[in-house]
Amino acid sequence: MPAGLMERVAPLSIPATADFDRMRADRLARVRANMAASGLDAIVLLGNTNVVYATGATWPLGDPGRANFEQPVAVVLADDEWPHLFTPLADDTGLPADHVHGPVYLDLDEGVRRFESELAALVAPGAKIGVDEWTFAMSRESKLLFPDGRPPSDGGKTVTKAKAIKTPDELSVLREALRITEVGIAAVQAQLAPGVRQMDLTATFLASVFDAGADANTLDPIWQVMPPSMAEGPWTTHGDLACPLLTTERELQRGDVLWVDTSLTYKGFHSDFGRTWIVGQDPSDRQRAQFDTWKAIVDAVLDVTRAGVAQSELLAAARAVVGGETPWMTHFYLGHGLGIDAAEMPYVGSDLGEQFDSSHALEAGMVLVLEPLVWDDGAAGYRAEEVIVITEDGWEPMTDYPYDPF
Amino acid sequence: MAGTIAVEVVPDDLALRQERRARALAEMEADGIDILILGREGNARYVAGVPRLWTAGSRPFTPGCVLVRETGDVHLLSTWDEGVPDDIPHEHLYGITFNPMNMVEVLQGVAGATTATRVGTDSLTPMFSKLLPMAFPAATVVDGESTMRRARRVKSAAEVAEIRTSVRVAERCLAVAEKRFAPGVSERQLTAAFMEEMALAGVTTPSSQDVAWITSPTHPWHHGDRDRAVAEGDVVVLAGGVIRGGYTGELARTHVAGGGRPALLDRLEDLRGRLLDACRPGRPTADLLGAYAAAGVEPPPAPVARGLGLGFDLPIVTADLAETADADIFEPGLVFALTTYVWEEGVGAAMATDPVHLTERGPELLSEPSPEDDQ
Repeated sequence: MPAGLMERVAPLSIPATADFDRMRADRLARVRANMAASGLDAIVLLGNTNVVYATGATWPLGDPGRANFEQPVAVVLADDEWPHLFTPLADDTGLPADHVHGPVYLDLDEGVRRFESELAALVAPGAKIGVDEWTFAMSRESKLLFPDGRPPSDGGKTVTKAKAIKTPDELSVLREALRITEVGIAAVQAQLAPGVRQMDLTATFLASVFDAGADANTLDPIWQVMPPSMAEGPWTTHGDLACPLLTTERELQRGDVLWVDTSLTYKGFHSDFGRTWIVGQDPSDRQRAQFDTWKAIVDAVLDVTRAGVAQSELLAAARAVVGGETPWMTHFYLGHGLGIDAAEMPYVGSDLGEQFDSSHALEAGMVLVLEPLVWDDGAAGYRAEEVIVITEDGWEPMTDYPYDPF
Repeated sequence: MAGTIAVEVVPDDLALRQERRARALAEMEADGIDILILGREGNARYVAGVPRLWTAGSRPFTPGCVLVRETGDVHLLSTWDEGVPDDIPHEHLYGITFNPMNMVEVLQGVAGATTATRVGTDSLTPMFSKLLPMAFPAATVVDGESTMRRARRVKSAAEVAEIRTSVRVAERCLAVAEKRFAPGVSERQLTAAFMEEMALAGVTTPSSQDVAWITSPTHPWHHGDRDRAVAEGDVVVLAGGVIRGGYTGELARTHVAGGGRPALLDRLEDLRGRLLDACRPGRPTADLLGAYAAAGVEPPPAPVARGLGLGFDLPIVTADLAETADADIFEPGLVFALTTYVWEEGVGAAMATDPVHLTERGPELLSEPSPEDDQ
């Protein structure tokens, strides 16, 4: 059984512990620099993960519908080193007391009117304010955000750009999120046997990761039983694989090929994990060959991965291993960024298109989840994910989970 | 059971899908909306009746489901047809995309896109406010969230039954966390116990992930480190909820570590009774705030009532939205999580959240009486 990714390279740029105050200050400096470049005097952020990034506040994320009942909102000002947080949560924020405000309910007109009066006290008249998203109550009631009735400019981009590059502090926290995930995964893998239900694996995963320090589970965990051939799976819009499919109470059978995908958060960072498992038996020679090809794809991609390289070079390297085929899910990508969101920039090999990939280069400090797959119609296939951080002269591993049973 | 996940992913029950879609179409008609584009998962589930992959946290608007008034056609963001009913044909499914221009192309393919004059969405982003006119050149983009809120606000009998079933699951999970509750256990471990039981019960999606709260005797609204262990005498709130069949079931109860019954819990029960009494058909929802005031209790910063249904549902009652509550009337068919909250200096905070169905006769609890109620 091959060891994990760290067999190849040791991680050097990831400190053992993070300085959260420094992390928040570094982030704010980036966001404010991006605001200055966009000519924005203030930004208002509603998106949960944008608020996490801009304020450093973290809380166990709930169902998306719940976000509209209890939605922390951030306001970042160009001329203030501290963000303002409007929050219904009881957690410590670490922000100055005069920057922490009571909750606002931006889904309701009265809530927006209250927010408007607080915002007016923070910004100068005529200030240019960007937002990441808005409700119709905001467009009805906020003259500050909708001067002359025109939609506000995009304030979310200032965060999107900033968060793509991770600081060493951020890498340290992300590494811990990944480690907690692996603790849960190891418990699940130990339980894997014929007769166990898919949902039992979820139960074990949830119990283990919360116990190990996760703040929230963020993806209904995937333990998809892959059909031997694509034709035996569900119909799809693109004629490619259907994945990820929802977990059910189905009992696992000997020989089932499971594609695993999970994500959780720890102190505001999303993890990601992917492997292929076989229930109750060792892989066949054909399955080992699938894994070998997958490993060859990862190796070929890693060989060209470093700061400054165009994303398209990674795609070319992956395709060259399999005779020009596209060895990843075409509704996703060969690789994606990871950090504040479960998937964020960079997107490598998505339907943003070849032009996008050839005009975008990797940068040092970007975190990349590589998720190629090998589909061997008639015998299912192999898919797994590796998390790396891009460095000036290459990359370093963020994870080290083994490939057992391969 | 339809709409849930046993060994197969199946759509919501046909009758439930039909009644919900008809209500959404009727409200579209009332607002003169030709095409409704829904990004919020609860809205999409209401209209399409299809379970999709759950992720935690808010998401920015993206067209996840499209409802066409003239034909009643539903277009759904789903790359595969698992769990999709026959009334949403393959040609009305569209796949995951990271390229907004591909999404524009999908929307351009909706019948009537070029002639629609009013297109509703449930929220917006700067990007989609620019892109939607490319797909709907003749349309004004209008508020479709209030349209959906009117459709969803009053629950049908079938919906109440769904919520009741979700509450049953939440109760089962909370009971396991309560069994685990004792000095020495950490907040995280209690949350872990709830989540594990939830999955064993066949549900993998929580509504919140903050099950245990060791309340503070010195601050009325303060959450400490989640690794902290429960100590003798701590007043601890156990609050949990699940999303099952798309519908939320939630409840909260308070316990004192090591036993004992401080007067705080009697105050909680007193206020809880007053709040339930204040849930009267025809009265403003502000009566809940009045009940807090009459008891001399400061309401919490969080809502004292919020709708239970699919995602964000009305009513929402909080001291910060007093005018809204004055104008908002308790109607039979409302279902909401009613929160009683009392904090006492030197003791801590006690909280009870009850799932309430308002009937013609008054409030009906959708939960079983908690063990404490029998004492």
